[in-house]
Amino acid sequence: MEYLEYLAAREIVSTFGEPILTYATLISVILLLLSLYYLVKREERLIEYSIKLLQVNTILIALGFVILMWFHFKIYSTIEVIYPEYVTAYMYQTSGIQLTSSRFAIPLWIETEKLYFWALCLSLFAWQISRKYRDTAKGIIVSLNVILSFLVIITYLYSNPFTEPLPIVHSEITNWSQAIAAQNPQIVGQIAMQLFGRITYYYNTMYMWTHPPMLFIAYASLAVTFAGCVFMLLKKDEIYDKIAYNHAKIGYFLLTVGMLIGYPWAVMAWDGDWWWDSKINGSIMMWVLYSAYLHTRIHLHKKGMWEVTAILGIVCFISLVFTYLLTYVVPGIHSMAQI
Amino acid sequence: MSSTNSSSKINLSSNFNLKNYDYYLILATSFALLLIGIVCVFGVWYTYDLYTTNPDWQSTIQYPEYISMMNLYVYPFILVLLLSLGLCIPKRIVPRTELIKATGIILLLTLIASFIGGIELGMSFILLMSIAVQAVVFVLTIMKSGSLTFEREGHLIQIGSSLLHLGTVLFIFDFASMRDSVYHIPIFWVVTLLIGIGTFMSFYPSEISKLGRKIALH
Repeated sequence: MEYLEYLAAREIVSTFGEPILTYATLISVILLLLSLYYLVKREERLIEYSIKLLQVNTILIALGFVILMWFHFKIYSTIEVIYPEYVTAYMYQTSGIQLTSSRFAIPLWIETEKLYFWALCLSLFAWQISRKYRDTAKGIIVSLNVILSFLVIITYLYSNPFTEPLPIVHSEITNWSQAIAAQNPQIVGQIAMQLFGRITYYYNTMYMWTHPPMLFIAYASLAVTFAGCVFMLLKKDEIYDKIAYNHAKIGYFLLTVGMLIGYPWAVMAWDGDWWWDSKINGSIMMWVLYSAYLHTRIHLHKKGMWEVTAILGIVCFISLVFTYLLTYVVPGIHSMAQI
Repeated sequence: MSSTNSSSKINLSSNFNLKNYDYYLILATSFALLLIGIVCVFGVWYTYDLYTTNPDWQSTIQYPEYISMMNLYVYPFILVLLLSLGLCIPKRIVPRTELIKATGIILLLTLIASFIGGIELGMSFILLMSIAVQAVVFVLTIMKSGSLTFEREGHLIQIGSSLLHLGTVLFIFDFASMRDSVYHIPIFWVVTLLIGIGTFMSFYPSEISKLGRKIALH
């Protein structure tokens, strides 16, 4: 019964979420073309249109996120893993843990939802920039529209969270439900033990609820820094440095704290064999580059430092994208790639 | 009159030199950070190469060899970073020439320790020295020492900056020398607090003081 309720919720997510992301993607394509056209023609009305499209897009993406939140809540409220007596007795004897049951508190930034969450954060930053710098930094608004459009299109094509919502979680819930239906205590026990590990040390951990979202909000903020740095090179206007630096502060703070929060988790979950892993290398590289950007910016008005800081800000963002992609390209303990 | 002029000229020249000193230290720090970034890129390429030849390389002798190699490559730049921090943060308390001499002695002792007892001993030595220096700077900042000013003015920024640098040095020490200790994770959480609060105070001093004034008014 619980499982059927869960399946119905999953169906609703696809039914309502899929068209929302499709519309958001279509709008992103128009936004992309409009922004590129603005860069050629420089017509004021194009900026007005693009801001309106950005607002509609942000509302759509936020609406999709609300649907995902509802789905996660439904998983939490409908699916309960009740451990068989012999499993609870075994757990108590071996680790002193008193088990009765667990529920899935699935974070909103895993599996196919990562890019979607990043797109949501970026669209909120882009909206805020378009309100604050409508008259003073149109170039930033246009470039953020371009970055956001690409992100939404990539999300739609490669990481659509509505086509098949949370595939790994789904297979785990399905396995659990089938084991219960088969009434085989041994299989139920085995799956319950696996689920205990996944729920206790992955889904429901404090780290999963803090480490990834901090990094994704940081990534979105640092995308604004990137746009600011590009315009610092094109136009020597203080406003672009101000925008870049203000968002680098948000991004760097969240990046630093977010990465630090991940550390004890890595120690606990991966024991010792994770240092100098490819993803860890990428993250350290990104952090030291942003630290270098913040240091060079202190002497921004020394000869040549304006350009050095701007170029460093651009290199930093390239390193950020590189670090994100490492998860899918280079194998490792913090990676999904396989060779 | 002429004496006032010459004294102001001396001050200007001394300020100019100090600014240049700051500037070159910042450049050295940024350069060391960049080089650490390059070592990391090398690590990514190296592990990728190892995976393509043997996907199970981490369970072979290649893994500890790789870890030692990366530690060795990153060590000189961490050393430069620590020395640069040691020259930068306390520069207004200690005369520059004395500071440079002291840094030279610390570097020499670190190298001797590294040759005698290996990289771990050298690293532990310089880290302990750095922690001591940064802790003194932090205490002096809290005491609002008149002799202490930083690149950017404002007491909150000064406290934030010293917290951040103390946290960074403590983090490297905790990671490099305390990994097998039961205090590793408790120290780590202290580090997280120091770095988190330090970064926030350095970035948002005016917002914090505004909030402080509001709270005081209520």
